[in-house]
Amino acid sequence: MLMPPFELHHPSTVDEAVELAASLMAKNEAFDWVAGGTDVLPNYKWRINPKPHVISLAGIEEAHALSSRELGCMVPLSSLTTENDVHPLLVQAASKVASSLIRKSATVGGNLCLDTRCFWYNQSEDWRRSIDWCHKADCGTGADCRVIPNQNTLCVATYQGDLAPNFMVLDASVVLIGPEGERTMPLVDFYELDGMKKNVLKTGEFLLKVVLPEEAAQRKGCYQKLRVRDSWDFPEAGVAASWVPGNASSLMVASTALESIPRLHTEQVEEHLTAGDLDPLALAKIVQKSVKPVNNTALPPRYRRAMVKTLTKRALLDILE
Amino acid sequence: MGSYRQQPGAPSSEVRKDGKRVAGKQVFPPPGSGGSEPQMRPRDLDFIPETVGGKEAKPAGDHIHDRDRTGTVVGKPIPLVDSNAKVTGQAWYGDDVRLPGELIGKILRSPHHYARIKSIDTSRVEALPGVIAVSTGQDAPNRFGVLPVTKDEHAMAVEKVRHVGDLVACVAAVDEATAIEALSLFDIEWEELEPVFDPKKGLEDHDEPIHWRGKYHLARTNVQKRVFQEFGDRSLVKTPHASSHGSWTMMGVHHGFTEPHAVVAHWDPNGRLQLYTPQQVPHYTHRALSTVLDVPMHQINVIRTFVGGGFGGKSDPFPHEMCAALLARKAGRPVRITFDREEVYWINRGRHPSHIDVKMTADDSGRISGFDIDALIDGGGFASFGHVTSYYNGVLATAPYELGSFHYTGARVWTNKPASGAMRGHGAVNTRCAVEVGLDEMAESMNVDPIDLRLANLLPPHSRTISGFRITSNGMREALERVREGSQWDKKFRQLPLGKGIGIGCGFFISGSGLPIHWDPKNFPHATVHIQVDMDGGVTVHTGAADIGQGSTTAVAQVVAEVLALPIEMIHVRSHESDTSPVDLGSYSSRVTFMNANAAIRAAIGIRDQLLKAAWDMLGYHPNVLVLNDRRIYYKHDPAIGVSYLEALHKAQADTGALIARGAYRSPPMGGVHKGAAAGLAPAYSFSAYVAEVDVDVETGLVSCTNVWAAHDCGKALNPLAVKGQIIGSCHMGLGQVLTEKMVYGRTGHLQNANLLEYKIPSVHEMPHVEAIIVESSDPEGPFGAKEAGEGPLLPILPAVVNAVYDAIGVRLRNLPLTPDVVYAGIEKHVKQNGLEDAEAIEPPRLKHGPLQSVLVARSDEHRERDRLRQRSEDTSAYVNGVLFGFDPDRPLAEQVDGWREADEPLPEQLAELGFAGRAWLKKEQRHMGGDD
Ligand SMILES: Cc1cc2nc3c(=O)[nH]c(=O)nc-3n(C[C@H](O)[C@H](O)[C@H](O)COP(=O)(O)OP(=O)(O)OC[C@H]3O[C@@H](n4cnc5c(N)ncnc54)[C@H](O)[C@@H]3O)c2cc1C
Ligand code: SF4
Repeated sequence: MLMPPFELHHPSTVDEAVELAASLMAKNEAFDWVAGGTDVLPNYKWRINPKPHVISLAGIEEAHALSSRELGCMVPLSSLTTENDVHPLLVQAASKVASSLIRKSATVGGNLCLDTRCFWYNQSEDWRRSIDWCHKADCGTGADCRVIPNQNTLCVATYQGDLAPNFMVLDASVVLIGPEGERTMPLVDFYELDGMKKNVLKTGEFLLKVVLPEEAAQRKGCYQKLRVRDSWDFPEAGVAASWVPGNASSLMVASTALESIPRLHTEQVEEHLTAGDLDPLALAKIVQKSVKPVNNTALPPRYRRAMVKTLTKRALLDILE
Repeated sequence: MGSYRQQPGAPSSEVRKDGKRVAGKQVFPPPGSGGSEPQMRPRDLDFIPETVGGKEAKPAGDHIHDRDRTGTVVGKPIPLVDSNAKVTGQAWYGDDVRLPGELIGKILRSPHHYARIKSIDTSRVEALPGVIAVSTGQDAPNRFGVLPVTKDEHAMAVEKVRHVGDLVACVAAVDEATAIEALSLFDIEWEELEPVFDPKKGLEDHDEPIHWRGKYHLARTNVQKRVFQEFGDRSLVKTPHASSHGSWTMMGVHHGFTEPHAVVAHWDPNGRLQLYTPQQVPHYTHRALSTVLDVPMHQINVIRTFVGGGFGGKSDPFPHEMCAALLARKAGRPVRITFDREEVYWINRGRHPSHIDVKMTADDSGRISGFDIDALIDGGGFASFGHVTSYYNGVLATAPYELGSFHYTGARVWTNKPASGAMRGHGAVNTRCAVEVGLDEMAESMNVDPIDLRLANLLPPHSRTISGFRITSNGMREALERVREGSQWDKKFRQLPLGKGIGIGCGFFISGSGLPIHWDPKNFPHATVHIQVDMDGGVTVHTGAADIGQGSTTAVAQVVAEVLALPIEMIHVRSHESDTSPVDLGSYSSRVTFMNANAAIRAAIGIRDQLLKAAWDMLGYHPNVLVLNDRRIYYKHDPAIGVSYLEALHKAQADTGALIARGAYRSPPMGGVHKGAAAGLAPAYSFSAYVAEVDVDVETGLVSCTNVWAAHDCGKALNPLAVKGQIIGSCHMGLGQVLTEKMVYGRTGHLQNANLLEYKIPSVHEMPHVEAIIVESSDPEGPFGAKEAGEGPLLPILPAVVNAVYDAIGVRLRNLPLTPDVVYAGIEKHVKQNGLEDAEAIEPPRLKHGPLQSVLVARSDEHRERDRLRQRSEDTSAYVNGVLFGFDPDRPLAEQVDGWREADEPLPEQLAELGFAGRAWLKKEQRHMGGDD
């Protein structure tokens, strides 16, 4: 497979990166950020929305920061280890991403900004031509969504990143930076529907780092990932849970790989806790009811939804132990 | 013994006082003397059969090749001779071939499932700078196909495209980017046609059948081949004591080899085509190229590169090979085409998606009174090997069990999907799985142990199956007994807690197809090997056997080294070029070791006899009393009287120059006379039995296979390391099919997962521990007793896992692969049907032996002795399938039983009750409908 041609830029500071983005925007030139490239480059080879410019974040020193409370966007997943003082929940989750080889290139930022996936979309150009394209990469044809046809406005591609729900249940925030300046927000607010929009990043803006509150260190967490093989496979469903042991009101549950964005199940947890004591199975059922996967990944949505109950139950039982 | 110099009397090098040799004065060892190892090694008696005075045990009796054993390499675990090239990255695969001035070829593929090409305009393509040649179907109207009876392929679509990804046109350009750009410049007018995806629909009449076979076309259906086979006395199944019936859906799977297809074509200055391709069957490509290009075969040299895995997926002549040749001819420059992974799936030739129905019955003494099999297989857009697959799905189930009757209906239909073809275990895998699971189920209804049910119903060595296959060596019983013991079956089966299970499965496979596809075996041999030994003593072996990673080159080198008692480094196998290698049918049907090594042994004996004759002249002792051992020939009773290999060689060469010899192998005449009798005929058969252990997560349906005890009867392990590799690799591949691999055609008929992320081949994490157990039944016709080990070992893993899953959760699953959603759905249904609270409440099955158990055990004890005597040739009486039912093997069965049938067409009264595939028999051929040319 041949990589389509693009110009690669190597800014070495945040300012340089932002300026570069601003100047390309001024010239109306499209571009993508690239971190480890394990997601965006395979997509390029498949000619899925390739751009003429690619800006690498690898040279930015700040982006490599790594401590127990701050994770720069360029930190490779293979560095998320207990030796590096990373929260055990993140260590556990990172170790389940892709394969050991890919984790050496794959980054925290890339994982959080991962493109959404769909089997009508993650295909070669020839293949997509044979289905006459789809809404998310319609090549100017105005093609419909192949998963939920006859609507033409929404893409329901699935977000299949592993880290997001784990950061969510640790109450993480993200720092975004762009030509319009810097902003910080809870990770929960970072994601925004639909499968094409994915998140709140504006053109020219990138995710600089993830910040954890001090309290995160007290949290005990567990991540349950559903996948067919114990290597390579993206999550078909994933549930993370954490709490400060003994404090039921601190409980947080989040899920991934079920919809176009990962979700923190605050409402479901509240609903359950106001009704009575913490009962893993009962809460698991409520969480299961709240998600609506569609048919665009390897396993059928009905099954993935059923598994949300099991995964949630297991994650809860594990942290309550 | 042991300290005999290879070159008696050779002067030693001149040495200085400080011990160093004088420059220019050192005597290099004469060529062929063994170099740094000048002394003869002692004979390795552990690897010389006891039947000829060595210490190697021969439990199955003597073998005609025992006399040719020298204890050199046969039976020893050695790395494959080409492994250095591979581990150092120097092996040259298809895409590694770079010729000066090469162009890059790309193929334009159909975006439609089924369409007529009304016109193709290539003018914009040709105008693109950098495009050197363009070709379309019009350039090559001649049809080809791997089987001469079903040539239905073109280099590129001539009139219609038959699946998404079918070849439409091709271009050669100065680089890949230009070639890719050029593909978007074809202007094509299409007329879309109504596609067929569901093989059941393929049985029905269609306005525009995918292919048209003229007067042989079956009505207007898409049936490519239908088969009916019935043997034995079907009245036996009318009042069964026990029975089972399973309806299966098995999804298509792909070989998943590492190396994508790649080809380089070059017309040399003399106008001869040099074609480099990773082919399993270069000879068929050779023939097809000749047909398609209209060039005589002697003007084409097919060069087989290293093959990065084939498993049946590189055994058809391929349209892209034709494309490269056509483009190179037009361009006058070499053209290289390398596939993307997606194109690999589009050319496919993987295992057929299948609907299989297996019914079986047993009588009140636990004998299997009948198998009734119906197999509807989805061929995709082309015939490929499908004609054979259609037979194999039935007839390869006629052993290892003795049957009262056998009934099979099969049909292969064309659909608008990439073509299915041959894949490891060709045609036998899916039915075998259904049969072995059926036996498990029937054993359960009889309250007997499924291993004992099998042991009490095995055909013995040297017998004939119900369909007329000649069984020679047979290690089935030993295989079953060894996995039973190794796995501690008797302590585990039906006794493990919920979620843990153990299961059994057996296998039976051909060791080389008895019928060469392209010529009459009465005229030409199956395999030919040439050997040449020049003055340096190195031995060059020319064979057409295609090493596709299975180690055929090593096997050939080994047997030659063994016969000539030479270190294997002195044997050089040349097998890459059709110009220099004798014709070989190729690497399929597990024929290579059996046929090629047999031919190689014969050729090596030819060389050995010339050497012995020379030694006789020199020593005065008759070859009968001469011993060959490690580069030396000597008198049996006094090793001091001898000559070195090189001395004998030079003597033998005195009047002739290089020694040459040839050997060939041809299978003996075998089999019945009914239509299809040749399908499944082989000079020998392999047998295997596996026990698998699984863990099933009852809440998620995830199955993991933890342990496999895998016993395979390969006759004789020429190289135990290679045999174990094949067994373990087969387990991996079969596990993929049974647990995770599937070619998914979505609701629109598109192949949804044409990539290695979504086509889920098990990773190292999914691999169980495999205890490979080699069973050696010493086949009388196999080279040193060997039979195949490349395909048969795949068969038992599927049913063993499916049966183990049942043992773990008590749910019978018949949709492969058993992905977690399939297992979970089965569990959910079971929980609901039985009114259980949840999956944890499932009670796994338990076994309490019924009265039949002791009957079976007694019978298998008796048969064990019967088999031993027959295996060792102490009992040479005739045995045909039916003796267990009281028939006299020396009289035709039809004379003894009223209802005995051997039929290849249904009786009119049977038509109404045929299975799904059998319904193809309700249709008439055009010639019987008064239609078509
Ligand atoms: C075979 C395979 C298996 C995989 N399995 C998994 C899996 O199991 N779980 C999983 O979560 N992922 C998986 N992935 C996806 C991917 O490898 C990881 O998610 C990885 O963490 C992505 O990081 P990256 O640095 O390589 O991202 P990149 O490919 O560099 O970028 C991904 C996307 O994010 C954008 N981006 C990157 N960094 C930033 C930033 N700082 N700010 C704004 N935008 C940014 C890019 O523009 C791009 O759109 C798999 C990938 C492959 C090829
Ligand atoms: S969800 Fe719909 S629009 Fe989005 S990628 Fe899939 S088919 Fe395309």
